Amino acid sequence: MTTLSPFKILPLLLPTAFLIILGVLWLPHHLELLDNAYIDTFKTAFIGILLEALPFVLAGALLSSLLQVFVPDEMISRWIPRRPVPAILFACLLGILFPVCECGMIPLVRRLIHKGMPLYVAIVFILAGPILNPVVYGATLTAFRSHPELAHARMGLAFSVSCIIGLIIYATVKKSPIRLSVQRESEDTHHRSTRGGRLASVFVHTSDEFFEMGKYLIIGCLLTSAIQTFMVRDSLIAIGDKPLGSYLFMMGLAFILSLCSTSDAFVASTFLHTFPAGSLLAFMVLGPMLDFKNSLMLLALFKTKFALYLFFLIFSGVFIGAVLVSVWL
Amino acid sequence: MNDSRSIRIHYGLRAVILLAFALYIGHLVQQDALHYYVAPKLARWVKLCPVPLVLMALSLSVQALFGKSNVLCDCDHRLPRSGHRSVVLYGLFLLPLLLGFLLPDRALGSMAIAKKGISLSYLSTEPKNNVTFESTDPYHTEFAELAKKLYAQPVIPVYPAIFSEIFGAIDTYKQQFEGKEIAVSGFLYPTEAGTANNTFAVSRFLVQCCTADAAPFGIMVDPGKQISLPADTWLEVRGKLHIAHYKGQEIMQITAESITPIPQPATPYIYTSPDSIAAWDQLQITAQTAK
Repeated sequence: MTTLSPFKILPLLLPTAFLIILGVLWLPHHLELLDNAYIDTFKTAFIGILLEALPFVLAGALLSSLLQVFVPDEMISRWIPRRPVPAILFACLLGILFPVCECGMIPLVRRLIHKGMPLYVAIVFILAGPILNPVVYGATLTAFRSHPELAHARMGLAFSVSCIIGLIIYATVKKSPIRLSVQRESEDTHHRSTRGGRLASVFVHTSDEFFEMGKYLIIGCLLTSAIQTFMVRDSLIAIGDKPLGSYLFMMGLAFILSLCSTSDAFVASTFLHTFPAGSLLAFMVLGPMLDFKNSLMLLALFKTKFALYLFFLIFSGVFIGAVLVSVWL
Repeated sequence: MNDSRSIRIHYGLRAVILLAFALYIGHLVQQDALHYYVAPKLARWVKLCPVPLVLMALSLSVQALFGKSNVLCDCDHRLPRSGHRSVVLYGLFLLPLLLGFLLPDRALGSMAIAKKGISLSYLSTEPKNNVTFESTDPYHTEFAELAKKLYAQPVIPVYPAIFSEIFGAIDTYKQQFEGKEIAVSGFLYPTEAGTANNTFAVSRFLVQCCTADAAPFGIMVDPGKQISLPADTWLEVRGKLHIAHYKGQEIMQITAESITPIPQPATPYIYTSPDSIAAWDQLQITAQTAK
């Protein structure tokens, strides 16, 4: 039973090492060692991102558990249009109804897939949901007060990239790419009689989800805040000097910063005079679709091959889209 | 395979961790330290988190203590299979709690600015009109309206509640504000560290959601004389506004008349205001009655 694959525990080693070092340092007479500007900045960024994501992760886990316990399997598939194009449009609009941040998205989507939502519809929801919603639209408009066209372009690009990726996945992926370990649970049909009735079982499920997604979230937060603490942004700007280089740079930045989709527009706006508008667009569309935190979660949900295929589709879709849109900007 | 006894232990551990998270949030709220990490509009939601966390912990501990053994079956295969995997998993969840409880809550300072790079002018607006405070762009009318109100003041008070809007309004109409008197508070960020130049920036972090997106804003200050204050000292600077050139960019600079160290304010960060004009009027009334 105890089959430990080295690749699975590899990402977990880093934080453990951290924990051990911290434990060693935590001796009463060494406490002043911790008292330096780097650790303060690291802690502030780390706890900040974690607290920011916590309500969304809990909401996602709770929604998914409610779906699991109270909604019969056939109901979801009855709501979703049969034909691909209306189904994809439906998934794009779903984001307007559930303005969930991307961290809460994955547990919810996993449950929806188990309840019979087709894969391509689920992918479109994962991609479009965090951008195509009123909260993000409002935040982007505020951040780019003098360039409202960028906010419109962001919505438009996110919409078209998610639709195109949805269609590609509809056409190319026939086998279920869900990880076997995740799949097994859906085949399990016997009902558990949890102590305390259905409500208690909702919360037991929620905590299962919370611990499952939480570990990826914490690793993502650790890496992101370490990068934020030790990376000097100005030194990287030199990389983005070439016209296409700036696109790659901004997309890489979006990936490693792992910002919330409601606040990344403000960070993007500080680059307005250093980088072309198209690359800012790439930053704001790629970030919510793909970043450290949620790529770890996607890897946990889907088989590695499919996840990498999806990453490639997102990356090239956003890149090509942003370059094309920049012609009009 | 996990037997019912180890499932009970897992559930018990998880209940304790969930409770600890709830306690940590409660501790932050009680210490009034939540604003060091997340913006007020998000803090509302963070404050609600202990409710589901406690309910989850309760349900788990009920299962752990009273659940029938034949029902506890880990049929989802979701609990860690081996000993050291469990240690890693729970260690990971303890890490933020350890960091949170052990280290003091501090606001971001000069170290973070050095990594992020400071904004000395309001970048998302461009100087378009040099005539009066008029604007056709709906997003500029707010700044134009605010600029009019600011211009009428003998000394422009930069209220922290609408810091970024006042900063934007003054920056947009730099020419008109040339020579106006201003009073602003923030912390000292040495822009020219290591050189003979004395100028520094009186700075604030603008936080949208959480500290990860904190963007440093600052107004350049020419102290006029040698000052010996360390970085991160909180100051109140009074002086006259002038246009200066810095790294090929037109920015505003304060020629200081007085620089007074102040204690760190209760809310060190600044946030955007949905309606800066209404906020300004409100703040003016409060300031008047305080006099």
